[in-house]
Formats: sequence, structure tokens, C-alpha cells
Amino acid sequence: MKILLVEDNERVVRFITKGLKESGHTADHAANGRDGLFLAASERYDVIIMDRMLPGNIDGLAIIEALRKAANHTPILILSALGDVDERINGLRAGGDDYLTKPFAFGELLARLDALNRRGRQDAAETTLEVDDLRMDLLSRRVVRGARAIQLQPREFKLLEYLMRHAGQVVTRTMLLENVWDYHFDPQTNIVDVHISKLRQKIDADFERPLVKTVRSAGYMISADPARPSAG
Amino acid sequence: MARVIRSSAVTLAAGYVLLGFAALVLFAAPLRYAWQATVEDFRIELLQEDTQRFAEVFRLGGPAGLSAFIKERVGLQIAGERILLLADRSLHPLAGNLPAWPGSIPSEPGNYTVPIDLGGERTMVSIVRTALPGGYNLLVGRDVERFAPIERRFWSGLAAAVAVLLVAGLLGGILIRRALLARIHGIQQTVAAIMRGDLSHRLAVRASGDELNTLSQTINRLLEQIEQLVHGVANVSNSIAHDLRTPLAELRSRLEELSLTRPAAEETFQEIDAAVSDVDHVIRIFNALLRLAEIDAGTRRSGFVEVDVADLAAKAVEFYLPAAELENRSFVFREGGPVLVRGDRVLLAQAINNLVDNALKYVGKGGRIAVEAIRRPDGTVTLSVADNGPGIPDAEKPKVTQRFYRGDASRGTPGMGLGLSLVEAIAKLHGGSLELADNHPGLRARMTLEGSAAPQPLPEQHPGPRLEQAGAVGEA
Repeated sequence: MKILLVEDNERVVRFITKGLKESGHTADHAANGRDGLFLAASERYDVIIMDRMLPGNIDGLAIIEALRKAANHTPILILSALGDVDERINGLRAGGDDYLTKPFAFGELLARLDALNRRGRQDAAETTLEVDDLRMDLLSRRVVRGARAIQLQPREFKLLEYLMRHAGQVVTRTMLLENVWDYHFDPQTNIVDVHISKLRQKIDADFERPLVKTVRSAGYMISADPARPSAG
Repeated sequence: MARVIRSSAVTLAAGYVLLGFAALVLFAAPLRYAWQATVEDFRIELLQEDTQRFAEVFRLGGPAGLSAFIKERVGLQIAGERILLLADRSLHPLAGNLPAWPGSIPSEPGNYTVPIDLGGERTMVSIVRTALPGGYNLLVGRDVERFAPIERRFWSGLAAAVAVLLVAGLLGGILIRRALLARIHGIQQTVAAIMRGDLSHRLAVRASGDELNTLSQTINRLLEQIEQLVHGVANVSNSIAHDLRTPLAELRSRLEELSLTRPAAEETFQEIDAAVSDVDHVIRIFNALLRLAEIDAGTRRSGFVEVDVADLAAKAVEFYLPAAELENRSFVFREGGPVLVRGDRVLLAQAINNLVDNALKYVGKGGRIAVEAIRRPDGTVTLSVADNGPGIPDAEKPKVTQRFYRGDASRGTPGMGLGLSLVEAIAKLHGGSLELADNHPGLRARMTLEGSAAPQPLPEQHPGPRLEQAGAVGEA
């Protein structure tokens, strides 16, 4: 991925650019809103990371609005210390695609960038999802692994669908809470893990190759590749 | 401050006097006009009656008869202040009490008020000039000054009223000022005491329900709230100090030890991971506190929408079901159709989840948790989560909603002691309350909320609440 980071805090910049490079991505950096706007308009990026409070009292949201007005549809992740629900809504309304509150874990940031990048190019008309021998039919809502049909409850189906739509990418617990349960708060429990293990029971237990993997200190990933993902 | 009050009281009195004066003028002006018109009309009427009588005498006795009649009357002094004059065609006087025809009288017959020479003095008279047959002219008049004393009395009466008004206004102003000053002084003293830091003072409230009393009561309620808030802040500061210091101390010693002992790489990384999760714990407490502050500020009310709490409860049960099943704990979800509330979806979901999470934490293996969302006949909505766990001793119940409070039973379990205070704050934000009761055995946490004013969808056909066993939830 080619990523633009608009952020003025040097430590945060170093932390993010280093992490992105180690994960095999390239990152450009702008320390203020004007440079950010210039880079975003002149180069092609897969995802933009936008801080909100920039030097000179500029709100990153203003830059996002300017980009959107100029018909730039690059996915944007807003990175902000403003964490109120209302601020989040403001961010998404201004044209941001995702909102991450500081302080954050790098794994969470990377997973969300992956998801945004994927969403930017996803074929909306997909009717089946496939990972190895696991097939999900989105129309008939049937799930089959190998030759065996798997019975899933509606929420399990939604959970698996989200994982499969992001196959090969790490999805964090927060992403699952937000997208599968629509919970925009921290339930302070490990319930997501319990749901995952229940899902594993149904799709992985009786098969040789497990598909749902735990990514340490980040989240989960579904993929056919038995090797550890390089995301963390 | 005192000077401002004094001047405002004086202004008040002066204003009253001025207002009363204006009212009197407004009252007297039309009165005087009406009085004058009435007296004038009455005077003219009398004169015309007289004129008529003289004309009758003229018709019967001719000029000579009328002359004799007038002379007789003038001689008898009946006329008094009256003016009588009969003149011929060339205005030569024939009989009457005027030596000559006054030049100030217009030449046409009619009613006039004109000055004439009367015994050497110019006097205003009301006069009726009549043309009699044969070119004779008759004047019948009356001195206007006759009514002057009545008019004078009217004006002096008015002046007396003004004087009384002035005195009463000034006196009233002084009295009002004195009473006002005394009470405001009392309020001032109380407020000064409060500003010095003693928040327990309250304004004196009298039995009479006048405006100052109402104001005092309002101020007292305000003080009540301020006192609560200040105590709340003090409590929270203490709790933050304690609950953040503990993990921060742990984190600090962990890092310091790492720096001092410089262990092998593997152990170092383990310690770093542990440090990161310490930090995460601190961040989580921070976020919960910020969320509480956000809720307490009440600003989220502006974004309220219709929320179905029964649906949120069903989702919460479904969310926690797999975890419950792990230890053979079960849910009973009573559902009776949508239950609408005007509120914040995210916060209400968080409150319900906190209650369910709390119940799940304390109920033992094989325990049962009953969740119910109903709209009561009085329009309020209750959401209750009851478990058959160990419950909370009565003495501890009021404390568990305090921020950072952790009951004895919860020591050693993960948590921050903010869960129930968050639920209570959310209930309050929605105009409701959180009530903790005994479930014999166990705890029954009940959140009461204001129901939505919007028309409620009809509940489904079955009369009683439907019981759904744990396994069935979420299958539909």
C-alpha cells in the first residue's frame, strides 16, 4: 500500500512510518495541512491517514472536505485524540471513512488501513465468498466447507462474512464489535473471543487445516495460508 | 452593591410616583372635558328656557309688555348675575340691566361665550341672542364666573390627590427598599458564606410563597446541585488518584526494573507486552471517565432518537449467550414487542450490556439471568436484569453506583468499578434511574427510563410476556 500520513507529532509519525515500512508499505508524510493537501492532490495514494488537530489551528476535517470537494475519493482514516461519539460522527460526515482514537495500537491501525484499502477496490456485486474450501453464498445464505454444509446462526454468519470479506487481513476485536454487532463502545470483555471460538468449532474443528487464525496482540484473520501473517 | 440597590429602590419609588401622576392626568383630562361640556350645555339650556319664556311674553304683550316684564324682573333683583337686554331694530336698549348693546356680540342670533363690559369689569358671559318679531333683539346671558368655585374645588381636589400619591409613593418606596434590602442582604450573606467555601449553607425560605421566596428556593436547588457536583468531583479525584495510581505504579516499577536488571531478550519482550497492557488498562479507565464526563454534561441529549430498548436487550443477550453457555449459565429473556425510548442508542446499548455483563460476572456456574424490557402502564420503560447469584448486601447497594467503588465480592475480578456508575449516569441522562433490589437470591438491577412519547406499536397477540429459553434467543 502507498499511504499518506498527515500528522504533526514527530513521535507518532516515526512510530507509524516505521511500522508501515516493516509491514511492507510505503508512506509519505506531511507535517501540516497545506503540504498534506498538496500531496494528496498531486500523488495517488491507497489510503490517507489524517490527524485532526494540525499546526496553525487547522482541523484535518477541513482538509478532508476540501479533498472530497475536489472529487478525490481516496479512503481516509481519521486519527484523533478527540474520541467523543459526536466527534466520530463529525469525522465520518466530513468524508472520512474510518475513525481511530489516540492512543491506539499499531495492529489496530494497520488492520483498519488494510480494510479501507480493500474496501476501495472491492467488487460490490460479489455473491459468493471463498477461502480455501470454505464457501459462503451471500444470496442463499448457505455456508459449505468441502462437501459439508455448516449451520450458522445469523450473527455467526455475519461474523464469518466479515472475516471472509477481509480474508488474508487482520481484523481487530474493535472492528468486529463495530461491524458485526454495531457496538461503538468498549464492552470491556473478551466476548468476541468466545464468539470466534464458537465459530471455529463449526468451521474448523473437524477439518485438517484451520482457517481462522489468532494474530497475537491484534485480532483475527481468516486465510488459507498456514503461515503466520506478516501484519503484526 | 448596596448603593446599586439603594438607587434602584429610589428609582423604583420615583417611577411609581411618576406613573401615578401620569395616571391621574390621564384620568382628570377627560373628566374635566366632560364636566366642562356638561356645564356649558346645561347653562345654554337654562338660558334658552329663559329666552323662550321672554319670547312668550313678547308674543302676548308686544315690546311694551316684555319691556315691563324685564323691568319688573330687573327691579326685583331676580335676575341677579343674569344679563337681560331688549333692544330695538337699531340695537337701542329698551329695557334690561345693560346700559348699551355690547359690541362684542356677533350680529347673528345664536349661543355665544364672549367677554362684555359688566359694571366696569370685563367679564366672560354665556349669552343667547334671539331675534324677536318686528326686528327686536333679545339678549339673555349669565356670568360664566359663577361656576368658577366648583372648578377651583375640582383642581384643588386633584392637587390633594397628587400630594397623597407623592407621599404614599415615597413612603412605599422607602418601605419596599427597606424590606428588599433586608432580604437581599440575607441572600448576600449566605452567598458570601458559600463563596468562602462552606457549601452547606442555604437561603432562608419563608412560609409565604412570594417571588423572593421562589427565587430563594431556586437558588437553594442550584446550591444543592453545585454541592453534589463538587462532592462528586472530589470523590472522582480521590478515586482517580487511587485507581490510576495503582496501575501506573505497577507500570513504573515494571519499566524501572527492566531498565535496572536488563534481563534476556525474551523476558524483556514479555515485560514490554505486560507494560503495554498496563497502559491499555489505564487508557480504558480514562475512556470510561471521559465517557462519564460526557454523559454528566448532558450534551448528548441533543442527538436523541427513537431507540427500541427491547431490541438492544435481545442483542445484548445474544452477544453474551456463548460466554454464558460456557459455564452452563442461562438467560431468560422476556420479550413483549418493541419498547421505544427517546435516547442515545450507543449509550443505552452500553448500559444494557454493562448490566448483563455485571450479572454474568457474579452469577455462578449454572446460574440464571433474567432480562426483561417492558413499557409500564404509566408510560415509563423498565429494563431489568436479575440474576440468582450472591447479590449485594443492602448496606453496599447505595455504594456500588459510586465511581470506582468495588464491592468485596468483586475484588479479584477484572473491572474498574465504573460499570454501574456508568449505567446510573446513562439512566439519569435519559430522565430515569437505576435501582438495585434483592432478587431472593441474587441481584435485580432495574433501569427505569422515560418512555417515548411517540405512539407505541401494538404488542403481539399473547397477553403475558413470552418466555424464551436461552437456546432459542437469536434463532428467529
